[in-house]
Amino acid sequence: MPVFNPKSWPLAIKLPLTITAVVTVVGFMIGAVMVMQDWSRFHEELGEKALLLSESVAITTPKTMLRKDYWSLYLSLTNMRSGKHKIVTAMILDVEGRIQAHLHPADNPMGLLFSPVNSIEQDLFKQAMAAREPIVISSGGYSRTGFQEGVVPLYSDQKYLGVVRVRLSVAQLYEKAINSALIVLALVLGFVIIGSALGTIVSRRMVEPLTAVTRGLEAVGRGEMTDFAPVPVTERDEIGRLSTTFNQIMAELAEKKMLEEEIAMSEKLVALGRITAGVAHEVNNPLAGLLNCIDTLRQHPDDKALIDRYLPVIDQGLHRIKDIVYNLLVGLRIEEGDEIEGIDHIDKLHDLIGAEIGDRDIQVIWENNADKDLQIPGKLEQIVFNLLKNAIEVLPDGGTVAFKMNLDGAYLNIEVSDDGPGIPADIRNQLFDPFFTTKPNGTGLGLWVVYRLTQNLEGIIEVESEKGQGTTFHVAIPVNTMKAA
Amino acid sequence: MRCRPMSLGGASMPTRIIASAKEAKVRSIILLLLFWITPIYAVDTQPPIRFGLTAVVVTENLRFLDQWSEYLGRKMGRKVELVLRKSYREVMDLLNSGNIDFAWICGFPYIQSREPESIQLLTVPVYRGAPRYHSYIIVPESSPHHRFSDLQGKIFAFSDPDSNSGFLYPLSLMVAREERPETFFRQTFFTFNHAETVQAVSEQFADGGAVDSYIWEYLAIFKPEMTEKTRIIKKSPSFGFPPIVARLGASSNMVRLMKSTLEDMDEDVDGKALLAQLKLDGFDNFPDSLFNGIRAHANKVKTIHSSFSALTD
Repeated sequence: MPVFNPKSWPLAIKLPLTITAVVTVVGFMIGAVMVMQDWSRFHEELGEKALLLSESVAITTPKTMLRKDYWSLYLSLTNMRSGKHKIVTAMILDVEGRIQAHLHPADNPMGLLFSPVNSIEQDLFKQAMAAREPIVISSGGYSRTGFQEGVVPLYSDQKYLGVVRVRLSVAQLYEKAINSALIVLALVLGFVIIGSALGTIVSRRMVEPLTAVTRGLEAVGRGEMTDFAPVPVTERDEIGRLSTTFNQIMAELAEKKMLEEEIAMSEKLVALGRITAGVAHEVNNPLAGLLNCIDTLRQHPDDKALIDRYLPVIDQGLHRIKDIVYNLLVGLRIEEGDEIEGIDHIDKLHDLIGAEIGDRDIQVIWENNADKDLQIPGKLEQIVFNLLKNAIEVLPDGGTVAFKMNLDGAYLNIEVSDDGPGIPADIRNQLFDPFFTTKPNGTGLGLWVVYRLTQNLEGIIEVESEKGQGTTFHVAIPVNTMKAA
Repeated sequence: MRCRPMSLGGASMPTRIIASAKEAKVRSIILLLLFWITPIYAVDTQPPIRFGLTAVVVTENLRFLDQWSEYLGRKMGRKVELVLRKSYREVMDLLNSGNIDFAWICGFPYIQSREPESIQLLTVPVYRGAPRYHSYIIVPESSPHHRFSDLQGKIFAFSDPDSNSGFLYPLSLMVAREERPETFFRQTFFTFNHAETVQAVSEQFADGGAVDSYIWEYLAIFKPEMTEKTRIIKKSPSFGFPPIVARLGASSNMVRLMKSTLEDMDEDVDGKALLAQLKLDGFDNFPDSLFNGIRAHANKVKTIHSSFSALTD
């Protein structure tokens, strides 16, 4: 499906999509980095807050501990609860790790050794007991169960008394982090929308002239250049220059095309004039003789010998006129006659040419290598017949004419060659002109018809000849034209 | 409770008012003015009467204390300043040094002998019909302990080393077993506040504690969520309620006035409202023999008291 294949999408869609995608990816990457930075900053701040709380407890703790005022120690921990922080736990331990006060006294009775519940807690406990200056320890990373713990060792007169541990939950960061992430998301979305809009505008500005240029070129391809609307040029950048240049080229092409059409028209008129003149001349010549014969016969209606002498002359002259008219009809009305026939019709020409040769001493070499099932246009038969007939007419006795046909990819190649006298170089340009002939009785229309038919079949005709070395005509007809025809 | 005629100048009422409504209104405005002006005038001329309070009442309710001091000042024609201290000892020191003239103290400091004697019994609160209260031995609600002896080797919260209900009574229980707190319990501490003793037990910071029954019942009304987490495992015999004492050197007029003001609180609306907030029936005159029960306990524990008091220093 072409709709789902991005390669077939127009640039006017692909470019804004690409810009939008790039802006989106970049926006979200920046957003993600910002959110992650926020997280790590919040996390760090949480540790600092835990340390601050620990330190605030630790200010009065040494004195209170020495007085064994456990209740005040406990209150110093519970009082922290009135703040906004979610305190997971807090404790005051003495130098041996005995609980002096714990925020959860039911599970951690005062006076007993603090017993960590698992290996992680054991490890944190060791770290806390080893701390000789305030530190932050943490566990659980950014998960909701994670925490940051402020650990402050207690000293009185430089004597180590124990440690204060205050633990804040990472969970309390979630709301804050989600709020900040939402703000970042909103900013990123805004950025993406503005970026995409700008991208679309810029890409449209870039693509519009390109589209116009492409349409122009497509019109050139279809041969419509005269009704071409120039691409509007608004800026003098690369696109502006491209548009200007394109407009110039198109204007020149249009002019050239017009000139060509004019030339073609005058050439047509010239050709028509030449044909008309040829027809007039060729038909007029025998007519004068014919009229003369008829006049003589009318004066001597009973002269049997005269009748026997003139009737064949009249017959010959009329046939010649008939030939001319037939060939003209074939050559001028080539748009008609689109019939298709089997390739065996070509092989029938072998016999027809044999009949034309009659008892003359001319050898025919026949080589048809084309597919037996191939269908060919009827016009091809006429082309081959004319070429063969042309060859045997120029051949002296003892000559050879060869016909070869083979299918080569998209082309059907036909080759008709003879070992006759060849065509002098000075008349090769006129070979296909109507009424040009070197033969005394030729109409000069045979090769013209061949040329016209070949052109009509979109084929190519080439002639290869050297004086005294014979002549070869190459005709190549595209197979697809044959099918269409 | 005895009835006394109102004797304060500004507050004296005419025996009968028979007049039209309008006249009555004018009179009441004049009376109101009199009523207000006199104490204000008096306040400006005399130093305030200083009244010491301890943990025998719940002292966190500052709005109540303001109302009460305003009431006393109005009745006595002199500004009354309520002085709060953490421990009984501090309040006793203020009394001895003449810094305060009155104080609401515990029966235990009251019966302790002083040379020379510096205080006199002023009046005693009447609580639920009698000038008596108990000491409660409480444990956390979920505690497996049901007897005082179960608390051996545990953590115990005392209120104040000079408190009868919060220290002397549990001490007497140990003396009966020939034990001392430091040997009987694993850990002990003082909260210097009955309410905080309840808190310590309710939050399981202590395995047991000794509190004033009046405070526990007071909290059961105003902070039931706290007392619900505690369970009473032992009630002491009744003792004389923490009394209000006067400094011996205070002027006898002022002492008389204070006594009558307090004992007459149940006779006017404002006083009754304040008593209702205190959850007391009133104040009344009782003989010193009311505190003989505490004296007997004090004598029992005298042998170890001298060494034990070192804990509180």
